[in-house]
Amino acid sequence: MTGRVLLIASVFAANALCADGLLERGEKEEARSCVACHSLRIVHSQRLAQSAWGRELDKMAGWGTKIADREALLAYLTANFGNDKPAPAPVTTKDAAAR
Amino acid sequence: MTPSRRDVFAALLAVAAAKRAGAADDAIAIPGKRSMLLHNDRPEDLETPVSYYDSWLTPTSSFYVRQHIPRPAPIDPAAYRLTVNGLVSKPLELTLADLQRLPQQTVPATLECAGNGRGFYRPQVPGIQWGRGAIGNAEWSGPRVSDVLALAGVAPTAKFLEADGADSPAGGAPDFVRSMPLQKALDPATLLALRMNGQPIPDIHGFPARLIASGWVGASFVKWVTRLSPAAARHNGFFMNPAYRYPKYGVPPGGAANPADLEPIEGMPVKSTITAPEDQSKMTLGSAATVRGFAWAGEEAIERVDVSTDGGSTWRAAKLSEPKLRFAWRLWQLDWKPAEPGYYSILSRATDSAGRVQPVVAQWNPSGYLWNAIDRIGVSVEKQS
Repeated sequence: MTGRVLLIASVFAANALCADGLLERGEKEEARSCVACHSLRIVHSQRLAQSAWGRELDKMAGWGTKIADREALLAYLTANFGNDKPAPAPVTTKDAAAR
Repeated sequence: MTPSRRDVFAALLAVAAAKRAGAADDAIAIPGKRSMLLHNDRPEDLETPVSYYDSWLTPTSSFYVRQHIPRPAPIDPAAYRLTVNGLVSKPLELTLADLQRLPQQTVPATLECAGNGRGFYRPQVPGIQWGRGAIGNAEWSGPRVSDVLALAGVAPTAKFLEADGADSPAGGAPDFVRSMPLQKALDPATLLALRMNGQPIPDIHGFPARLIASGWVGASFVKWVTRLSPAAARHNGFFMNPAYRYPKYGVPPGGAANPADLEPIEGMPVKSTITAPEDQSKMTLGSAATVRGFAWAGEEAIERVDVSTDGGSTWRAAKLSEPKLRFAWRLWQLDWKPAEPGYYSILSRATDSAGRVQPVVAQWNPSGYLWNAIDRIGVSVEKQS
């Protein structure tokens, strides 16, 4: 019995470790699959529920994006840019108007 | 507690990362543009800060930019060709000189992204989180699309006009192709503009030729136009369906629209924006302010703008700029001298020549299009200390 509890506990611990690795994998997946077509500002400026991020990934996959680690990418986007996160501070470009 | 070496190392890394991020922001400069709100740099999605709107014509240096896919390599005007094909009696290839030889018309028209104000919707929806500045007003000049099409002869079976630009997407992403009913294409205010505010259209805005569908959604203003094709049916690519469609019937916030009830966005709704005072700014009791802004109404003209400085309890008519035109915005202003200190909610509400009035609540929709609720800012009036 004790052995079983220990086994379950170690599975939970392993899952927790995996969860940490999951977000790192997700960030790597983002760098691999998204930036070929656009910079990441358009992603990071949004605040969406997991279901909405999932639909965005489906849309991009439908357009030919090869997302190798979808689970990790979805977890990363939801953890960092979920709709529970505050809106990002505005960013401005440098003045480059002709004088 | 003494930080471990590992903590110090992590902190150093964080500082270095923040510096890199700061440097990247500083480094982004879009040639020809003032400092703009940056939504994306590749491709460019730039919003005009409301404080820049102080003239009837928006200078190109502060005009907003929405690119769906990366813009094409700069087009050599001598090598440029416009293909007119599809349901025509004589397919053509026209040069820029051919277009310049046709009678040139000028139409002042407001150009607004369908998603202007998307960032105000709750719950949030995917897409660029535009505030108030995905809009501008310019004078567009060039031949009428009807004159261009007349050279090729439109077949009587044509019901739509399809337009494609020189931009092409990466990978399997959809091309930006749009179509409009032929009736709109043949309207005298629909142009193939070669100039914007009197100058050749800048590359970032569609050099050398941009479709101007006066009063219609910004997505109809196709840039870098290289092909016009009369067709029997509406193009059914992504940027016509499901993109740029709006539910015919109201959807509960956060709900889904029935795809069969989604209709292409065409003419734009009535709307006003407050550009001054600045939202959440302060002023001193005893001083006066001018509440200012602009108002527009798609294919209609602006009839009146009412302003409230008490959260909507009472309204006063703002003074409107002339001329009163279809397609182009009107500037408005109202002098205001608050009698008491405190926090004031200032609202603006436009009415157009068709009797449309801005709603109190913008209809939530899954793509966050057509935000046009009564605009609202807050100002604190403080006693001089």
